Amino acid sequence: MFDNGIFFTILGAAIATVLAGIGSAKGVGSAAQTSMGVLSEDSSMFGKMLVLTLLPGTQGLYGFIVGFLILVSSGVLSGTPNVTLVQGFAYAGASLAIGFGGLFSGIAQGKAAVSGIAMTAKDEKNFSKGMVSVTLVEIYALLAFIVSLLVVIQVSNFAA
Amino acid sequence: MKTVRIIALRQDRKRLLEHLQDSALVQIKSSEKSRRGFTRVNVSPQMQVFERNVDLTQQALKILDNAKPEKAGMLASFKGRREIDPDEIGVIAANAKEVIEACSRIVELDKECSDNSAEQIRIKTQLAQLESWNRLDIPLNTGDTKSTAVFIGSLPEQYSEQRLKEALAAENPKLEFETEIIYSEPNLTNAVIFAPKSQKTMADEALRALGFARPMSPTHKIPKVKAQRLRDQSQRLLRENEQAQQEIASFADMRDKIKCTQDYFRFRSDKYRVINSLDHSKHVFIIEGYIPEEDCEKLETLCTRVATCVVEFGEAGDNAPVKLKNNKFAEPAQGILTMYAAPGATDIDPSPVLAFFFYFFFGMMFSDAGYGILMVIATGLMIKLFKPDKKMRNNLKLFQFCGVSTTIWGLIFGSIFGDAPAALYNMFTGSNVVMAHSISNMSDPTPALLPWPVIDPQKDALTLMIISIAFGLVHILVGMGCKFIVCIKQKDYPGAFFDTGLWMLMLIGFAVLAAGLITTPVLITVGAVIAVACAVGLVLTQGRGKKGIVGKAIGGLASLYSITSYISDLLSYSRLLALGLTTGVMAQVFNMLATMMGTNVLGIVFMIVIFLLGHVINIGLNALGAYVHTMRLQYVEMFSKFYEGGGKEFEPFSLNSKYIKIQEDK
Repeated sequence: MFDNGIFFTILGAAIATVLAGIGSAKGVGSAAQTSMGVLSEDSSMFGKMLVLTLLPGTQGLYGFIVGFLILVSSGVLSGTPNVTLVQGFAYAGASLAIGFGGLFSGIAQGKAAVSGIAMTAKDEKNFSKGMVSVTLVEIYALLAFIVSLLVVIQVSNFAA
Repeated sequence: MKTVRIIALRQDRKRLLEHLQDSALVQIKSSEKSRRGFTRVNVSPQMQVFERNVDLTQQALKILDNAKPEKAGMLASFKGRREIDPDEIGVIAANAKEVIEACSRIVELDKECSDNSAEQIRIKTQLAQLESWNRLDIPLNTGDTKSTAVFIGSLPEQYSEQRLKEALAAENPKLEFETEIIYSEPNLTNAVIFAPKSQKTMADEALRALGFARPMSPTHKIPKVKAQRLRDQSQRLLRENEQAQQEIASFADMRDKIKCTQDYFRFRSDKYRVINSLDHSKHVFIIEGYIPEEDCEKLETLCTRVATCVVEFGEAGDNAPVKLKNNKFAEPAQGILTMYAAPGATDIDPSPVLAFFFYFFFGMMFSDAGYGILMVIATGLMIKLFKPDKKMRNNLKLFQFCGVSTTIWGLIFGSIFGDAPAALYNMFTGSNVVMAHSISNMSDPTPALLPWPVIDPQKDALTLMIISIAFGLVHILVGMGCKFIVCIKQKDYPGAFFDTGLWMLMLIGFAVLAAGLITTPVLITVGAVIAVACAVGLVLTQGRGKKGIVGKAIGGLASLYSITSYISDLLSYSRLLALGLTTGVMAQVFNMLATMMGTNVLGIVFMIVIFLLGHVINIGLNALGAYVHTMRLQYVEMFSKFYEGGGKEFEPFSLNSKYIKIQEDK
């Protein structure tokens, strides 16, 4: 298991995808619940509700992309994995950023989206303000994503 | 914007107002009270009639939609209002009475239906109650005979005949009685109890102790007969409802007429609302309002043509509404601007700047030539086929421009449906080509499809991040430039040069310094000198509002702290990289999945399905992301630098309709 870094590489891909995915799933889940409540009263707001509901969904996407890039750049996807133990650890470490960043920012953004939906339900004119406020949370997922990304694309250049 | 005052003869009121409404030139100002010597005419009763008609038609349309849904395509919401000839209005007006009658009939029928449905429910509960009395062969309200008291009712417990007798005997051993159990279930027994009339009070007390209660709605019919009658009634109501529904559905052809009539009454009620707010004297009336400067002449000729009147123009103050006027390139972005806020009195109209950066950033985030071309074609087709209304058309135009930018960025990033061309080529020929060589790896020996070097967000992430932040700097500087112009316009020179200019210079200094880090060290010195000079300048000037030397010094130093907000603003632009990368990678993943199954028939079917599905998902997710985040960059990062908002939009007195649009005279 410790001869090479394959285990940790795959672990890294899993952490990035799963943790960020959980964050998004929770966020989108709570936003979707609220928006369905609004839609049961007024189904004409579907478009706006959809936008607000989907906003916390990006974390999962970032996590997935980091996971995917790990699989590509380590060669796991092409069936010829070539990673040293150090590189494996590097992948696993890099994945923690978007994993935890995505997990918590996804949940937090979900909460913000719920409030945004409630606000839009009261007055549709508030939609753009709600939308912008909800995206304020996203920057932290983005920063985590970029850190993960910058490491992942450089790992293949690491020496053993 | 100008103010306008039109004084005209009362006899011309109708004609003049109609023409004003048609031409949509003036926004009419309404004040609470009339000025001295003038009175208001009260036309509220007429107005209410019109408004009621609008409501009625709305209700009727809703009922029609439920009874016989209109066949509408998925894209119907893009469709513009139906254009009608100006002469048609006369026809609509002539038919209005008939249409309103039809609407009343529809609403009446609907009310009948809902009354019937309520009655049905009542019958149902009654039937359910009667169910348990089914075996009783005398009416529920049978009274006492000459010698016998009759008690018909329920007890809140389950009894057999034997147990009921025991219970009654236990209550009052002296009581003589006869019972018959009609129905029993846990916690309920329906029974008939006979007792000698002389013992009626005794029997009553004994029964009350057991919790005896007479039925809620006693009838003088035998339960079975009553139940049958209720069932018949329910059948009849059902038939009636069916008939009513059929009659409602028969009005479905009138839907268009109803829509036109609704708009007709909307026009009229709008007009009467205006009349309500006008000042009248014995012979003349006054209209006051706002008008865009370029329309003044048009209004004057119009007014003098249709009425005997005096038209005066004046300068509008700060409270005047704003009419945005932009060229074809910037107009689509007005919707984005007004979604934030219309420009306030001191603002400049930032639409052109907004438009440019909106298209630019959207393209950079969506960044795929394939998707971009699809956007351009789809929006173009929609505009051509549906002839949407102005607002919708502007939205479509917005995405068309975004599509152009997306295409260009897609080519720069080397992404056409992700790496679809290369993936498909490799799949069918078994060769190994890439889409293009990235700028950092020009000497790659594998053949490339695109002849030009591209910025590959995956391989050149760092370069792209620097580029993103550089664009961010430009964006912020443009925002501050707008502030600079606003300050100059207001003759706030210290604000322009010290508060805005110095910060702009300082940011430029840092940019030069950063450029120096990559290129020559000379630039580092130049940048540092600029930045330090600006910092000194800021410390010297930013405390100018404070009292005393110490206060000024502290104010100046504290102002340097805002550098943190600029840094966080700049970092925010790294989303340009993140979202650009997301589109590309997602597309790549779907292409990889699509080409997985090989080149046999099954594989190709699989490929087509996955390819279509995957890219549709990708377009949906990432177009949304690009739209939302571009908007955020505009609203939060740029507008915060200069834009006050808080203005009101110019809303002229016009034919404000929902379904029809009157063609302009050609």
